[in-house]
Amino acid sequence: MSSSSGHSDHSHGGVGKYMMVFLALCGLTTLSFFTYSRFWPFQDTPVVGWVFMMAVSCTKAMLVICFFMHLIWEANWKYVLTIPASLMSVFLVVALVPDVGQRTRYYAEERALYASDYDDEENPPAVDAGSEAANESGAADEGAGSDSNAPSKNSAGANSGSAGDAAVKADAT
Amino acid sequence: MTHDTHGGHGDDHGHGHIKLAYQPGLPLANGKLCLWLFLSTEIMFFAGLIGAYVVLRFGVPSGTWPHPHDVHLVEPIGAFNTFVLICSSVTIVLGLEAAKLNQSSLARLWLLATFVLGSVFLGVKMYEYSSKFSHGIYPSAPRSLIYDKADLNYASAVRQRLNDLATDLAKKASAEAAEGQAATPSEDQKRCEDLRDYLVYWAEQTAARSEDPARRQAALNSLAWFIYPRDGHKPEKFLAAETKRMERDKKSIAEELTAIAEEQKSLDTKKAELEKRDAAEVGEELAATVKARAVSDEKALAATERLRRVEGWLGLVPALDKLEHGINDAYHSLRLPIHIPSGNMWASTYFLLTGFHAIHVAVGLLMFVLMLRYRLDASNAHLLENGGLYWHFVDLVWIFLFPLLYLF
Repeated sequence: MSSSSGHSDHSHGGVGKYMMVFLALCGLTTLSFFTYSRFWPFQDTPVVGWVFMMAVSCTKAMLVICFFMHLIWEANWKYVLTIPASLMSVFLVVALVPDVGQRTRYYAEERALYASDYDDEENPPAVDAGSEAANESGAADEGAGSDSNAPSKNSAGANSGSAGDAAVKADAT
Repeated sequence: MTHDTHGGHGDDHGHGHIKLAYQPGLPLANGKLCLWLFLSTEIMFFAGLIGAYVVLRFGVPSGTWPHPHDVHLVEPIGAFNTFVLICSSVTIVLGLEAAKLNQSSLARLWLLATFVLGSVFLGVKMYEYSSKFSHGIYPSAPRSLIYDKADLNYASAVRQRLNDLATDLAKKASAEAAEGQAATPSEDQKRCEDLRDYLVYWAEQTAARSEDPARRQAALNSLAWFIYPRDGHKPEKFLAAETKRMERDKKSIAEELTAIAEEQKSLDTKKAELEKRDAAEVGEELAATVKARAVSDEKALAATERLRRVEGWLGLVPALDKLEHGINDAYHSLRLPIHIPSGNMWASTYFLLTGFHAIHVAVGLLMFVLMLRYRLDASNAHLLENGGLYWHFVDLVWIFLFPLLYLF
């Protein structure tokens, strides 16, 4: 009942091999944190980091599959089981990319209207230094302020182009 | 398998007893083959889930996927769990080796060690889940507090939550109050009312009325930031500018109120004067004076209300600024809606992937418990082999899940 007929179990496996694989797995797990250290040379391109981490994961996976799951010593049926399943996994991911994977690249018009999420910390709206209108009750019409910085701040803001123009005109009056 | 080639062909005349030679279709036992077929279906199962995660995660608007710190995901805990599972893979394979060598008590020990390590993994997972739940991060409504955009819908949800809390606390206070006496609002109730009337009111009004779109969004982002701060998103300059604006407003409203008070005084004296004279002569003028006084009263009321809002904001916001981890963390019972961009997508994928994996781990642990009932010698080593294959697969899935969920 136990395992494959026709081969001796003592010729493969063995505690020594398993301990080596264990150490390799621990080492690889630590290595996957290498992208977090300051010696990582690709700080500016996260894609390289992701590829590196996936390579480390695949290596760990191959170690577990080949040694712990004993596949390296098994006959050719291992290819029949593993290759189609792996191909299908890759196809599934690739097939989804042009559909839901790129859903935010092509905005419907309605979505684009509500998609803006202005979050510019470098150029916050200027303080309204002298406008009397800001203090009226009810209609709180705070136009952008009349600081000397106002024009540059407003022009840098993504959506405040027209508001900036209006404010500059209000300054002049 | 049996290898009897022909048997007594002289005995039968077409019935039975013909011994056929069975050749195994594949050089492995049925149990192992079936388990490998099952594992290939499991590969496809997890490929579907992981593939969906990869596609959804990289398809979000660029830069909006939550940072692990924003969603209370701690990478070292994930690394520890990876280490635990790797160790459990080693122990089960050592158990198999021992069983093949007929060392059944050693094999049982290794099996027990695997079970313990698997339980440690699940325990750590439960701890991770509980830390997310306590911050309002759930996979779906209604328990999930996550909003993907800080917009007016979000602000109104915050206001409604604070309103509900305040009214509940007020009801409780009036129920507890002595007969005939007015209920004293508790500290919690006052806090809810202050947050609603000063912070949320300011955010909603600015977001709805300001002409500067940057200011509109910044007000909402500030509200979200006070409730649930995310690293690197503090609207420092905006809040400094707003504080200056509020101080200025306070001064100007105070001046306005003094002006109104003076106006009212002069109107009052005029009214008193006119009342002394003949009604027929000064009737119209008196009516006009009374009307002007009423208008002045209204102006005073409006200005007082605005002053209340401004002073409330100035009293509240600097105190909120000092909170280290936001309102939701300081006052745990509030559970106000929180803003995490793509937070709901993150929560759905995280809980789905880790949840299914945890279910597989639990099934594996159950399997180990059932295996412990057997004597694990060489004749039963196939149990450990097949169970071990399943367990290695579970480890394999985690090897992929860990970087995908924690490190990407």
